[in-house]
Amino acid sequence: MSVTDESGFSRRSFLSRGAVTTGAVALGAAGLAACSSGNSGSSTTSGGSGSTNAKPGFGVGAPQKGGSATVAIIADIDGFYPPANHWDTNGFLYANTVYDPLMAVAADGTVQPYLAKSITPNSTFTQWTLKLRSGIKFSDGSDLNSAVVKANFEALNASLLTGQALKGIAGVDAPDDLTVVYNLSDPRPQFPSGLTTQVGYVFGQAMIDQAAKGGTPTPVGTGPFIYSSWQPNDHFTATRNPNYWRSGLPYLDQITFRPIPDDTQRAATLKTGGVDLILTTDPVSIKEFTGQSQYQLVDSLTGVIGEPTVAFIMLNTEVAPTNDLRIRQALAKGLDVNQILKIFGGGFTRPINGLFLPGSEYYSDTGYPTHDPAGAKELVKQYKAQHGTPTLQLTTVPDPRLEQLVAVIQQMWNQVGFNVTVNAIQQATLITGFIEGKFQAATSYQFGNIDPDLNYVWFSTTTVQPVGSIALNFPRNSDPQIETALLAGRHSSNQSDRVAAYKKLNERLAADLPYLWLEQYPFAAVGDSRLQNFVGFTLPDGTKGYGFNEGIMVPTQMWLNR
Amino acid sequence: MAKYLLRRLIQLVVVAFIISVLVFLLVHLLPGDPAAQILGANDTAHNRAVLNKQLGLNLPLWHQYIFWLKGVLHGNLGQSYLNHTPVTQVISTGWPIDLELIIISQVIAFAVAIPLALITSRRPNRPVDNISTTATFGMLALPPFVIAPIMVAVFAVGLHWFPATGYIPFTQNPATNLHDMILPSLAITAGSIAVYYRLFRSDLISTLQEDFVTMARSKGLSPRWIMWRHAFRPSSFSLLAAAGVNIGALIAGTFIVEFLFAIPGLGYSLVQAVNQRDYLVVQGITLVVAVAYVVIQFLIDFLFTVVDPRVTRE
Repeated sequence: MSVTDESGFSRRSFLSRGAVTTGAVALGAAGLAACSSGNSGSSTTSGGSGSTNAKPGFGVGAPQKGGSATVAIIADIDGFYPPANHWDTNGFLYANTVYDPLMAVAADGTVQPYLAKSITPNSTFTQWTLKLRSGIKFSDGSDLNSAVVKANFEALNASLLTGQALKGIAGVDAPDDLTVVYNLSDPRPQFPSGLTTQVGYVFGQAMIDQAAKGGTPTPVGTGPFIYSSWQPNDHFTATRNPNYWRSGLPYLDQITFRPIPDDTQRAATLKTGGVDLILTTDPVSIKEFTGQSQYQLVDSLTGVIGEPTVAFIMLNTEVAPTNDLRIRQALAKGLDVNQILKIFGGGFTRPINGLFLPGSEYYSDTGYPTHDPAGAKELVKQYKAQHGTPTLQLTTVPDPRLEQLVAVIQQMWNQVGFNVTVNAIQQATLITGFIEGKFQAATSYQFGNIDPDLNYVWFSTTTVQPVGSIALNFPRNSDPQIETALLAGRHSSNQSDRVAAYKKLNERLAADLPYLWLEQYPFAAVGDSRLQNFVGFTLPDGTKGYGFNEGIMVPTQMWLNR
Repeated sequence: MAKYLLRRLIQLVVVAFIISVLVFLLVHLLPGDPAAQILGANDTAHNRAVLNKQLGLNLPLWHQYIFWLKGVLHGNLGQSYLNHTPVTQVISTGWPIDLELIIISQVIAFAVAIPLALITSRRPNRPVDNISTTATFGMLALPPFVIAPIMVAVFAVGLHWFPATGYIPFTQNPATNLHDMILPSLAITAGSIAVYYRLFRSDLISTLQEDFVTMARSKGLSPRWIMWRHAFRPSSFSLLAAAGVNIGALIAGTFIVEFLFAIPGLGYSLVQAVNQRDYLVVQGITLVVAVAYVVIQFLIDFLFTVVDPRVTRE
């Protein structure tokens, strides 16, 4: 089996969508899923350069060259250096501007070569041979070759942040100028999907050298644009790469990203023409732009084929009272998710019963508890007889919408017998609490990924540690059946086996209840009528790419109607 | 006057010293290992060693303070552990924006409050006075974070007169810069207009009832002459004092407004740094803002001595 850009070869057809944003949570987690680039579906499913399709976000008419586009994002990033910086959705937007990934996700969910020309496994999936395209140069004029990719791996592997994502790679060889061989410690049929993530974006040797000297590396990539200026919290500007290896691209002369953290102000800036495109996760903004013909709205809520980013309440299974399954069950039964979404979901989102949405082949009736206040009261009563009234702190971040949300949840849980207090702490502090296990219950969102295997670290028993120690299995849920399912999914190339494995994972999560599921987390991009094709990019071989992966877009084929 | 100013200068130095100690201790108030807290997810052995060396965290506390103060006096406030930008660069890029916002907002506040007070104080409790008083009450009640979205909705989204967000440096394009700064400045200045107007109006009314004003009137001097030559200056002391005290509120106002309008000033950087636990940036900006506040108060005290020489005698 191989994945190649030359048609005729067999291609992996497993369901591999999305991966991105593990959200800020994942990011801070030094984890590697933090490194997952991701995607999920989007409401747009077709289109492309020069299409006459009038679907929002896809180009209409012939592409026009030139012009400068401005994109408002939610927050700035902490840097461009993959081994050291945490890329969330905003980070991948920057990355897609100045870098290219080795592999990319196609619109049909398959993983396809990008900087790579092909990637081929051995018979046991323990070795993958990647062939690079020839003649590609970095923005500093140096060549893209196997030595740079190997050096990239070594820098990424040495990093605490990204090293865990590469845990299963025993070593990388560069037998010739354009060949890279990945030697794995165990079979990984889904290995190429990992190369669509942060660890698959290739950066220049100059950055590695600069970092080794203790400096802050200036981005050097093979991407469609060249880094021009970055003033943190103000703007990042990149100009057209005149020597870009994809002929005739990019269309824009310049692209600027502006972080505007306030949702309302970001939307207002689009309305006043201050920017051409905004990224948002705010249901109010999404609702506001829905149906407005002068804007193009693309969201991540429909057409999802893989694993979406989901919002949930995480429960610590190592500390009282949430270490008692009855309590976790009572909390799940005491939660009226329909009512919560009615109030806070903006009318778009729907309750979920696990990691996958209806329509996904991984979806099943997981047995996740439904709203049952009487059942919750009974469970609390049983617990109370042994340990007294269960007292619980529900933590969130200082966001007015979330603070209102936890107040409603607090009321629901108190009604079934809990004594719940709520508090809001800064996200970074909350993430540290997750990593060290210092929380009882907390709101969060995570898990959007192109392949379920990319979420291994978050659920594995191998990443559970005692409270106070660093663990990527934040709820510290140690379930051997989950580990068995995760490894079955990881090692198998048979899709039906994988489907069974991840269904099992989902069912076990519904039984163990380390997460109380709330909703699919919404991402949306809203463009003005001038900006074309902001989700309609294609892969080098012309295959339609995933243009809106959990908010991540590729600016290569955007253009402005002027 | 020299003695008075010297005394105030000594007080300034003492206050600045206290501020520096408090800001220095900010990092040491963090629970656990300060280096680990500062580095967060970047807490590698290498980074921790570099930071410990940079901050001198292995030295006794007093030694650390001297070490830190020496760095501060040499313009070294450390660097952001998120994006590795030197804190001095964050501050040098941000402070002109805050200063510009404060100056424009104060110019607007004085330009509105003073003429309005001059007009209404001549005929108190008339319709114009009543309307102005009621309007300023409303302005006083609305904080910048409420006024800003309303202004954006009306003047940016509705009328398209101003941009909703954005900032172009003055040196790059003065006209665009001023255009971009009007809405944020108005959002900050509403409270100031109300305070200045009400204070100045009240003082003018009192002054216009003084004996020396009655004497001036009896001499047949024109109301305009009496207002400008005799009433304006003695009525402006409270206004000046209020302007000085208001600097703190204005700085806080700029922080909120910069965040809402995505203007990359010190306030925006500070809010972002607090949210991201970028402690050295928080420490550096807090130090600079606090010292700047004290220095501004000193300058206002100095200005008082010029406006009202009785101050030095008291």
